[in-house]
Amino acid sequence: MNMNKSVRRAFLQLLVCFFLLAAFAFAQNGGELRFCLRSEPKTFDPALVDDDASVAIRYLTGGVLVRANRKTQDLEPELAESWSVSKDSKQITFKLRHGILFSDGSPFSAEDVAFTMQRLMDPALHSSTGDAFRSGSGTVSTKIIAPDQIAITFPAPLAGLEHLFDQVAIMSAHSPKKEGAVLGPFMVAEYKAGSSVLLKRNPNYWKKDAAGRRLPYLDSVRLDIQPNRDVEMLRFKRGELDLINSVDSDYFDRLAASSPQLVHDAGASLDYEFLWFNQVASAPIPEYKRAWFRSVNFRRAISQAVNRDDLSRIVFNGHAQPAVGPVSPANKFWFNSKLKAEAYRPDAALKRLQDDGFHLQNGTLFDKAGNAVEFSIVTNAGSKPRERMAVMIQEDLGKLGIKVNVVTLDFPSLIERISQKFNYEAAMLGFRNVELDPNSQMTIWLSSGDNHAWNPQQKSPETAWEAEIDRLMRAQASTADPKKRKESFDRVQEIAAEQAPLIYLINQNALSAVSNAVAGANPVILNPQTFWNAERLTVNSQARASR
Amino acid sequence: MLISKTAPRKTLFWKIARHLAAIVAIVLLGGLLSATLVRLAPGFDSDERELDPGLSAESVRALRQSRAGEHNILRYYSGYLRAAWHGDLGTSHALGQPVQSLLRERWPVTLRVAGVGLLLAWLLALLLAFTACLWRVPVYEMMGITLSGAFLCIPAAVLALLSVILNAPGYLAIALIVFPKIYRYSRSLLAKAYELPHITAARARGLGEMRVLARHVLPVAGPQMIALAGVTVSIALGASIPIEALCGLPGIGQLAWQAALSRDLPLLVNLTVLVTLVTLLANSGADVMNYVLQPRDV
Repeated sequence: MNMNKSVRRAFLQLLVCFFLLAAFAFAQNGGELRFCLRSEPKTFDPALVDDDASVAIRYLTGGVLVRANRKTQDLEPELAESWSVSKDSKQITFKLRHGILFSDGSPFSAEDVAFTMQRLMDPALHSSTGDAFRSGSGTVSTKIIAPDQIAITFPAPLAGLEHLFDQVAIMSAHSPKKEGAVLGPFMVAEYKAGSSVLLKRNPNYWKKDAAGRRLPYLDSVRLDIQPNRDVEMLRFKRGELDLINSVDSDYFDRLAASSPQLVHDAGASLDYEFLWFNQVASAPIPEYKRAWFRSVNFRRAISQAVNRDDLSRIVFNGHAQPAVGPVSPANKFWFNSKLKAEAYRPDAALKRLQDDGFHLQNGTLFDKAGNAVEFSIVTNAGSKPRERMAVMIQEDLGKLGIKVNVVTLDFPSLIERISQKFNYEAAMLGFRNVELDPNSQMTIWLSSGDNHAWNPQQKSPETAWEAEIDRLMRAQASTADPKKRKESFDRVQEIAAEQAPLIYLINQNALSAVSNAVAGANPVILNPQTFWNAERLTVNSQARASR
Repeated sequence: MLISKTAPRKTLFWKIARHLAAIVAIVLLGGLLSATLVRLAPGFDSDERELDPGLSAESVRALRQSRAGEHNILRYYSGYLRAAWHGDLGTSHALGQPVQSLLRERWPVTLRVAGVGLLLAWLLALLLAFTACLWRVPVYEMMGITLSGAFLCIPAAVLALLSVILNAPGYLAIALIVFPKIYRYSRSLLAKAYELPHITAARARGLGEMRVLARHVLPVAGPQMIALAGVTVSIALGASIPIEALCGLPGIGQLAWQAALSRDLPLLVNLTVLVTLVTLLANSGADVMNYVLQPRDV
């Protein structure tokens, strides 16, 4: 009897040990996630990040006070338990979590937040993350109220202030490892220049799952540096990679045909493709062409003559939506739902042109001075979809008697032409919209802005509608009331649709590919689409090997 | 006829000195030419970050200002040479890292890929060329010519893509790019050497093929093959650019590709200097070796 009891007890103890060991093994063995960065990360310093590769690494390694949930688009507390913004939108106060350690074991406190903000706002650093906080002249001050409480004060009101902290990875004020000490789920363990970056799980990461297991599940993340998309897809098919964050529509369909379970179309993304005409007064283009480009009827006619449905169907195989304006319908709060994408109406386009004195003669469109309507569209070489879109626009406008020449340039040459020499007639590019808040587009909309593509750096607004946009953008940036901000930016979107300084073409869908070896993936439209919840992903290496 | 085994030391010294002087002059000129070409290239002065709407006007101005020192190319180049003299090769615009550390990290990869590729190319080419000359079987010779001709026609980028698709190592692609040039040239050299009357006479006297090759053919064809060795170094280095860029090999070739696309002046000037230096050293080395091994009257 006693014997049986002791055997049973020993058996039970063994069983408990086995389950504990299994649980431990599961918790500690989430596998290695592998995917590609499309360029070399320029920096591991979160304050200096401004390229896609570095942004991805910052997302995986940096701990932030608040994080925009990539699925719900709501702001959620992270290192800050709570926060409050002053009525005048000049001050934000954070209440921080206790007992959090950096990856090197140094404790996290309000001092680190103050240090991070002071470093970001250093005018000599020229940090794009810091620049987002520059609301007006004057300095940003930090006040440590308690070790777990800090107030940050800005010289001028900053609308959507709390959302900007999604990009601010907190750095340690005291760690000798500097940016090597992180608060995010992973830390940089190895960097082979030109080849790969290996991230290991941060043993001190503070988050736990609902079952009390410490996150992240993954042991490591291997980021291979691979600019070539063909090679990236080939390696994914071979099972060497677990995910592709942004897949071209051609590749997407090819992969969907063979392995539909691996591809994900999350719908229209925030990114858009657009076309604009050069309206710069000093640009080296003929005066009569500048007059066309400055005419709203001409711009609207071109917009109406472009068949966006065809662009979506033919160039993107249906994985794109006709663009409405600067805000994609995917941006739930800021999209102006009253607006609709410009419909394809070549007859209406011709009518508009005729209203402006243009006339068709033997299949060629002439302006009222008798100049044949002909212009070139410059775009960047190497982007197959963009080149194909340019060719389709060439065909669409050809039906109106307009001759379009498509010129592809490498990126540095294109940037020089559109932002320094202004030696172009029309240009086509894509805008990667990583922020939901319109404040991130201030330099695009303000007439004095460097990115006011069609006519940048104006000393004073050259048109009444640009002056109105300036006023509305400044108004929305200086109030904390979301309703008032939305009203102002809705009007900006309406003016943009009426005046068509930028002709919005399509919003490409957020296409991604995820291996079936990855568990927990839930691709979304916001960046980083596939690994936004990296801390909760696991990789089954056996499933990967069997692909 | 008396043959000296070694070249006169004084003449050799002056030959090496002349080569070194020429190398220094050409490298300096090459660097200046590279800087000038990059400066004149469209888009030299632009930076992708200028399109970042998150950057303030002050930051964009600072970005543009940071390259102002490169506008006057003579001033830039003299400044570059002064800094290089003190061991500072500048900082890459595109990668934000010191050029010196980039070269230190990347050079071993290229050395390995191009070195192994060259070695394989020479082994394969010489094996085929020697056996073709020894056996003189028309079908075999035709096979060698067809094979080398085929690889001669395939662009380096296509070979690089094939190596990616087949998961083959990058050095194999370099070997296949260099191989046809070595094979065709050495095959022709050996064939001409075998046609020389004294080699025909040696064969007629019943000398073994290996002895004919070692004693009579190689001394005739050797100097030109050594010169070819120098040239193939520059071919391999040139081929490493598309191979490394497409195969994702983090060497000097990949770096050169990135630097050219981003108009990275400091990096491009240093890469030009480095590649010119290696090429000239290889060619001069071959020339000096030929001089040393050259039979001469005493």
